[in-house]
Amino acid sequence: MWLWPLVGFASLILLWQVVIVGFGVRPFIAPDPLTVGSAIWENRWLLWDNLWPTAAEAIGGFFIGNTVGFLLATLFVHSRRIRSLYFPIVVLFNTIPIIALSPVLILIFGLTMSSKVAIAAIICMFPTLVNTLRGLEAVSHSEMELMRILSASRPEVFFRLRLPRSLPFVFTALKIAATSSVIGAIVSEWVGAERGIGMLIIQSTFDYRTELLYASIAVSSALALSMFGLVTLLERYIVRWRDN
Amino acid sequence: MGAELAIKVADLSKSFGVVVAFENISLAIPRGRFVVLIGPSGCGKSTLLRNIADLVESSSGDIEVFGSSPGASRRHRRFSFVFQEATLLPWRTAWQNVALPLQVGGWPRLNRESRDPVQLLELVGLKGREGAYPWQLSGGQKQRVAIARALVTQPDILLMDEPFGALDEITRDSLNDELLKIWRQTGTTIVFVTHSLSEAAFLGQTIVVMGAHPGRIVKEINLDAKKPGNAIDRKSSACFEISADLRTVLEQAYSSGKRP
Repeated sequence: MWLWPLVGFASLILLWQVVIVGFGVRPFIAPDPLTVGSAIWENRWLLWDNLWPTAAEAIGGFFIGNTVGFLLATLFVHSRRIRSLYFPIVVLFNTIPIIALSPVLILIFGLTMSSKVAIAAIICMFPTLVNTLRGLEAVSHSEMELMRILSASRPEVFFRLRLPRSLPFVFTALKIAATSSVIGAIVSEWVGAERGIGMLIIQSTFDYRTELLYASIAVSSALALSMFGLVTLLERYIVRWRDN
Repeated sequence: MGAELAIKVADLSKSFGVVVAFENISLAIPRGRFVVLIGPSGCGKSTLLRNIADLVESSSGDIEVFGSSPGASRRHRRFSFVFQEATLLPWRTAWQNVALPLQVGGWPRLNRESRDPVQLLELVGLKGREGAYPWQLSGGQKQRVAIARALVTQPDILLMDEPFGALDEITRDSLNDELLKIWRQTGTTIVFVTHSLSEAAFLGQTIVVMGAHPGRIVKEINLDAKKPGNAIDRKSSACFEISADLRTVLEQAYSSGKRP
């Protein structure tokens, strides 16, 4: 089943190799896949050392951002007042370009990892909040009437009905967050960082080490892909039911 | 039939803003009786059932369920409700769906005896399907699970709002048979809303015919004489006769209302 995507991927790599070699593109403009492959191997320790801070920032931001998003959604679904007070502000906050927020957070936290974690968290928070809110509200009229007939308390309605209902929505959000948290971490490293894949991307561009730039891109993509894969596996394990 | 009343509705009215659902309804339902509410859409039969179940509040008048308010009866789980849709939670198996009423609303504190979900599933004809998820069940099977869930708390009253309305005739007939069997076995009072004449004729000991615009009771038909022991062959001429009489009353109900 996953054979076809692999074949598709391989065909594009092959096309890339043919174009670069066939048109004689110089390596510092765009390297061919084989050169990128060997650059990954030669720089494996450099990439490895810079992968960890980025991964830690992305994963830290993923957990914090999703937790905050989920808790806000829980709060909003239970209090109309709090929702009307603060939901518009969250939407407004989300319109600020993440790249513009990065220097602000670096001024607050300094060139530490905290500022990167914060950016990754902020980029995750909004989709999770909106999707979870939709999920928690995706209960039908008769489901709510059933809970009333059973005299279920608010926490019971939440844990027995709203929470399981919301899970497919939450996982949609988590899949978005899995990749966007890596984007957040890398973008914030561009603005100022001593280590990390984002720093490596900027540095190798300035140094015309194009093969290292491509290698860094491949590694960051692999990081996002493995986080996405983990979330998908977790979803398959947890959400086993289908809607009638 | 004992004199104890399961449900007593006195002079009840309900309106949604300026729209009148029904007016001045009075109804007394003795314990253990099978009562069918039938009427055209807009006659407020579902609303009346929801009033009794404390799902909506009446505008004026009084309801007593075993002498107390609908709210108190709800909290004490005196009644269960079966909806038109089965309303099963898709992440729960049949067994887990049936057990839901025992896990919420402070059931353990009521200190009442519950029924075994496995036995109940057997009673509704789903033996061996305890582990099935709702998406693995047909429409009729889902409604059977919903009935088992309603029975798990051993309620005194079963309120049913067109529970078989979405099913085909043959499935509906077999579920009607099973429902009568369950009613005989448990002695539960049943209030059953439908707009099917044949279903009403087959199931009810008492048929309450309602009219619309405004919603009101047109006629209360007692079938004790025509259906001794509430048993009748649905293909018998006696059953057709009840249906035909019911049709006449319903047609009058349609024409007497201020119809648009």
